[in-house]
Formats: sequence, C-alpha cells, structure tokens
Amino acid sequence: MSAIIEIKSITKEFKVLNRREGLAGSLKDLFSRNYKIVRAVDNISMSIEQGEIVGYLGPNGAGKSTTIKMMTGVLEPTSGEILVAGRIPYQNRTENAQEIGVVFGQRSQLWWALPLIESFRILKDIYQITDADYEGMMKLYRSLVDIEPLLHKPVRQMSLGQRTLSDILAAFLHNPKIVFLDEPTIGLDVSMKAKIRTLIHALNKEKNTTVILTTHDMGDVDALCRRIVIIDKGKMLYDNDIEHLKGFFGSYRTLKIRIDGNLKEQAADIQKELPDCTVSADEEWISVLVDEEKAKVIDVLGALQKTHRIRDMQLEEISTEAVIKKIYEEGVQ
Amino acid sequence: MNLKKYFTLTRAGMIEALQFRLSFIMIAVGNVLYLIVVYFLWKSIYASAGTDVVSGMTFTDTLIYLVLATALFNFMEMYTVWEIGRSIQSGKIVLDLLKPIEYRKYLFWSYTGSFVTQFFLTFLPTFIIVAAVTHGAIPLGINLLFFVLSVVMAVSVNYSIDFLVGTICLYTESIWGINIMKQVIVLLLSGATVPLAFFPEGLRKIVMLLPFQSVYNAPLTLLLDGSPQTGTVLKTLGTQLFWCVTMTLLSKLFWKLSLRKITVNGG
Repeated sequence: MSAIIEIKSITKEFKVLNRREGLAGSLKDLFSRNYKIVRAVDNISMSIEQGEIVGYLGPNGAGKSTTIKMMTGVLEPTSGEILVAGRIPYQNRTENAQEIGVVFGQRSQLWWALPLIESFRILKDIYQITDADYEGMMKLYRSLVDIEPLLHKPVRQMSLGQRTLSDILAAFLHNPKIVFLDEPTIGLDVSMKAKIRTLIHALNKEKNTTVILTTHDMGDVDALCRRIVIIDKGKMLYDNDIEHLKGFFGSYRTLKIRIDGNLKEQAADIQKELPDCTVSADEEWISVLVDEEKAKVIDVLGALQKTHRIRDMQLEEISTEAVIKKIYEEGVQ
Repeated sequence: MNLKKYFTLTRAGMIEALQFRLSFIMIAVGNVLYLIVVYFLWKSIYASAGTDVVSGMTFTDTLIYLVLATALFNFMEMYTVWEIGRSIQSGKIVLDLLKPIEYRKYLFWSYTGSFVTQFFLTFLPTFIIVAAVTHGAIPLGINLLFFVLSVVMAVSVNYSIDFLVGTICLYTESIWGINIMKQVIVLLLSGATVPLAFFPEGLRKIVMLLPFQSVYNAPLTLLLDGSPQTGTVLKTLGTQLFWCVTMTLLSKLFWKLSLRKITVNGG
C-alpha cells in the first residue's frame, strides 16, 4: 500500500501584530508595523496509508487545525512538502476537494433551511456523483443508521447530534479518499457519541476511507484509532500505535483496596510488606501502584488478603487519557 | 453535465428563498413605505420647481423610473458583501473553499436561485402593475429585449463590484462599515436613488465613466426609451459589456491575490 498523505517536515509560520493594551495602545496599533512571527506548526513529518484511522491529538492551540488546513489546501505551508493523493493541496485546492471530505465540529456544510435530502442532492450534483454511486451510498447509510426520519427534516430543526451525524454522512457522500473529522463528537451525549463512533468505524471499514480525527475525547481515540499522533506547540511529540503508547509508561496498574481501621497507618504497614510497590492512602482507599514487571497484581492481592480483611477492591488500568495527560504535561522522554 | 452542478445551486437557492414566505411580505411592505416617501419627496421637488419638466423628466417619468429601480434593487441586491464577511468571521469560508467549485462561481450560483424567485415575485408584478396603472407609460417593444440583455450584464457588474468589496473583508475582518459605504456609493452613483438626469452636468460626465451606472441607469434607460436609436443602444450595451468583462477580471484577480495572501498568512 502506498501513502495517501505524505508530509515532509512542514512548518507554518504566521505573522501576528503585536497588540498593545488599552485605548492608547489600540490607537498606536492602527499604525503599527510591529509584527512577530508565530510558528504554529514546526517541522512535522508523517505518512498516512490509505484506510488508516489516525487520531490527531494535542491540547488546544497545539497546531492541529493548522495542519489539517494545510492538508486540505486552505493554507500553504511556509516550508516543507505535502502530497495528498498525489497532489499538492494548496496548488490544486478545487481538484483536491473532490478527494476529501471534511467535518469541522461546530460548523455545518449543510443547507440550513432545507431538508437533509436536498443537501444530499445538491452535494450529489456538485461532486458529480453518478446515480449508481449515490444510490449505493444511500443504501449503505440506510444499513448503518436510521436515516429515514432525518432525510426529510430541515437541518435547522435537528438536534446537535442529528446534525453532526448528517454532516458526517454528507462528508462521506462522494466517497472521498480521505475524511477529516475535526472534533466530531464535541458536545454530544454518550449514546450519540457511541453511534457516531460506530458509524465512522463502519464507513472506514466499508469504503477503506482514510480518516484523520482530531478530538479531545479519549473515548473516540480508544474506540477508533489504532495509530495516534500527538503534537504540542507545533512540534510532534508522538507518532505510533496506541498500544505502544501505554507500554511507554511501563505496565503499571493500580490496585485499590478498602479495609477497616486507620488507612494512613495501615498504608505505611503495607508499604513495608510490599517494598516493590508504591502505597498511598486517601479518605476511602488504599492505592497500591504495582509495576507488573516486578510483581503480579494477583500475588499482591493474595498477600494482602492474608494479613488484612479486604472489604472492597478495584483494579485500575492506566487509561489512554492518563497517558496523554502525562505527555501533554511532561513530554515523551 | 458540467452545468448541472451550477443549476443545482440555483434550484437550492429557489427552494431556500421560498421557505421564508414572511420575508416576501416584509420586502413588499418595506418597498411600499419607501415608495410613499419617494412619491411625496419628488412631488414637493416638482411643486417647488414650478415646472412640469425638470431635467428633461416629468414627474411620472421620475416616479416610474424610481419604482422600477426599487424593484430592480430587490432582485439584484445579493448581500454578497455580508455573506463573504460573515463566512470569514465565522470561519465557514473554509468549508466553502473546500467545495470542488471555484468560490466566486459557487457564491454566484448560490444566489441565482433568489434572482429567479425575486424576479418573478417582486420585479415582474411591480412591472406589470406600473405598466397597467400608467397606461402605457412604459413602452412595450424592442426595448424589452435590450432591457433583458442589459439586466444580465448589470447583474454581472453588480456581482463583481460586490465580490470585490467582499474580498476586502479578508483584510479588515469587519463588514458593517464597508458594506454601508459600498451600498451608498453604488446606489447613488448608479442612479438607483436619484436618476442620473438630475445630476449636475460635470458630475454626470464623471459618473458615466464609472462602472456603477451600468448597474441601474443603463437597464432602466433602455427600458424606458420607447424609440431607441441604434447608436445609443449600442453605446449603452457596449459600455456595459466593457465593464462586465473588466470588473469580472478585476474581481477575479483581486480575489486570487488576496486568497494567496491569506493562505500564506493564515486567516
């Protein structure tokens, strides 16, 4: 398989006016030539294969949207190369548009006042989708979601969830090679999120569409992405499998137990019993951080059961969320 | 096949326009109020002039001209500047730029739907009413054909002016002032609010050299001219064609350069 998106050390710089404060400052700004250069994306390279779902993560203002805008051709990189489906996007924006679909979280590309089916018909003509392809796609949609009640509803009367769902369907309609989803599940309830994840997954499977997904919801990442790319302050922090990411921080698990008596004192005792683990206590639980390379959780639990009366217990995996949070805060060593 | 992707936008625009029934009523009410003001304003102008003919136009001539200018305005005004400005501010422009149609065309064709509906629902009824009420003050002959040709070019010139001004929003990120300024300039210099015949000689000469008169003055003059001279008609249409081509090229070029700047500097 060949790469559908090929990015070689792209950098994007913006010229931003240095704003001054207050009324006097604002007046001075009218005549100011005092620009500073902000590097929104700094030397990023990646190669994405046809059919991959890539989670593109980073804190707010990390440069995710800028990268996506460069991939879609709306922005031109300051330096570096981008090839999307064999084309340089900013030079062939209109042609490139035929190959990509986009959903930008809170904005809709649908015709606000018209029923959804009209938007689909317009898109069919704009993208010059053949009748056969259109029918095929609609058939697929019908099999995946309960689309009938939505089709005849004006978009402005839809709930946010229904609208997002419709926007995703609209983005996939012309069977693009790549779909960019910028925070598709933002502001949605749990069941709608699940629905949308299932839909994205199914469309990716069925049409082998490459999906680039930016999100702040780790549920999206866990449900959809095998590969994730993390950037912060324009720099690439991580680009690999999600499994690998967890391994990065060792195979730690947290065993939480609830026992009678003074937890603080007991925690100190347990720490003496288990020198390989880190033990801490709060109001309700004693937490034992177990490094699975040194000791097995089940053995630790067995040992504890002999010496204490355990009333309740929990086992916590290290979550993707915790790992990402750690990366945002500390970076990858 | 290729035209289909444009006509589908026309169709969508028509359906969209027809969704808002109330807006037609509001436009009609607004027009009536505006025309009442116009009626009394010009009545007093003619009364104070003390003659029946001012600047070569009778009171009826002037009134017919202004009524039709208003009707024409309803159907030609596209609020392109607003639309571009709002898309830029909300960031929706990114989605529009990612359609497989050039933005300038995409926007134009999105508006054609409302052209069609406005033409049939406001311009045509007004025209028929005026023609009936004034008992043939509007000549019905070959001038209608010239008028249609002229309106097509007027629409194009008007759109190019709008698009050009709209493009400025890429730089300023504010729309209100620019839009108001554009509207005042276009409406005044095109002869939509005051017939150009009333302009002082010097000013009129300058205005005739500008593109704005191609938008309202040209089509209305052709429409109201019952005995058209080949020379005048050719000159009017020729001037319009010139502006049509020039303004299209100019607005296209400006957009292309601006967009490049934006894609380089970010928006």
